[in-house]
Amino acid sequence: MNCNDTRLLLEAYSDGELDLVRQLELEAHLRACPACALRAKGLATRREVLRDSVPRFAAPPQFREKIQALVRAEAAPATAAGARRPAISWPSFWNFGGAAASLAFVLFIGYTWGNTRARTNAWLDEAVSDHVRSLQAGHLMDVASTDRHTVKPWFAGKLDFSPPVFDLADAGFPLAGGRLERIDGTAAAALVFHRRLHAINLFVWPAADGSVPTHRGAENGFNAESWSQGGLNFLAVSEIPATELDQFAAEYRNRAN
Amino acid sequence: MSSAGVIIPMEAFAPNEPPTFEQLMLPHLDAAYNLARWLLRDPHDAEDAVQEAFLRAHHAFDRFRGANGRAWLLTIVRNVCYSHLRQNRREPEAVAFEDEVHGSTHDPADANAVAWHEVKSALLREALERLPAEYREVIVLHEIEGLSYREVAGVAEIPIGTVMSRLARARGKLQTELLTLTGKGSPHEL
Repeated sequence: MNCNDTRLLLEAYSDGELDLVRQLELEAHLRACPACALRAKGLATRREVLRDSVPRFAAPPQFREKIQALVRAEAAPATAAGARRPAISWPSFWNFGGAAASLAFVLFIGYTWGNTRARTNAWLDEAVSDHVRSLQAGHLMDVASTDRHTVKPWFAGKLDFSPPVFDLADAGFPLAGGRLERIDGTAAAALVFHRRLHAINLFVWPAADGSVPTHRGAENGFNAESWSQGGLNFLAVSEIPATELDQFAAEYRNRAN
Repeated sequence: MSSAGVIIPMEAFAPNEPPTFEQLMLPHLDAAYNLARWLLRDPHDAEDAVQEAFLRAHHAFDRFRGANGRAWLLTIVRNVCYSHLRQNRREPEAVAFEDEVHGSTHDPADANAVAWHEVKSALLREALERLPAEYREVIVLHEIEGLSYREVAGVAEIPIGTVMSRLARARGKLQTELLTLTGKGSPHEL
């Protein structure tokens, strides 16, 4: 191990986050190198001071009582809740009107999907709701990257399957990132692509509990296309025209083959 | 001051009954408040956010399976705080870019540039408040709450490698701020 390697590992070392093998290697280097040893000492001091001197704010006693009352009121049986619930001032900055409207919108879409499609397509409702929610909550991506070599490993350890990730920039659908979702009760990858100013959510989840049919649908301005391939279910949802979504799905199927 | 979490004695729970929301989550109220307070930098906003987080956590409690109630609650607190920060657009959003571009080749600042034992708590607080939210967050979670890299990764929803590089970068920037505040240097001298 040389000084360069050491420098990069020193912070993790002072945090006690190195694996044993690397820790022993690094300690051997520190014994032989006064410059790195001095750096390590500086980091240790810094860590100690940060731990001891950065103030930790404690919840004020009155606030603690309020939360306690809130938690107990929420836990009380529904019939008693109305009577026992303390006066709670809802935070002003959470725009509840907006949230309610979003919820109503999602429910409306879910309802119309549910009525026009078979009831068994619960996952379709969920996917469309997720798509709408991802746009409205500004939570489109947990990992923002146009590089599939960044997006794909991000899912490792978060999912028990590995979603195929392709950047379709050359076909006009650049990869924008990904996030975790739940579809049909299982963890799913949501890959996000851009089409001009619109977003496409591509949901991918294992077909273990049943393959989705190849299906194209359109409701309320949202287009959806699903297929099953290589033991995985795919469902693309977007507000772009059906022909373009179809083109996206065809490109994706080809590359996943 | 580093707290390794609140240990809840198992005897506190009645036999054969799953622990209640109150038993599992209320012990982490201080951790929740501390994170919100650091992220939002305002005591009233912090209270609002924690209250909202407890409501959300309560409604989602039937989906809580994990053993780590503190990390779970802190994840919700964090998300509530970020919604608030986004709505108020008080924060720059350049951090993710820095992680991606410089994360792997980052050379940590020399911690010896600051006489750490002479740094007063109030100064440290001022310096930390000047950092972007993503940097405050990893320092608060790791240094104050004592979360491991893995736990920080879970709460902040970033890979462990990013936790490591972001933490190094955050502490480096904190040093720069401290030196600037004490008039002992500019960022260029580090």
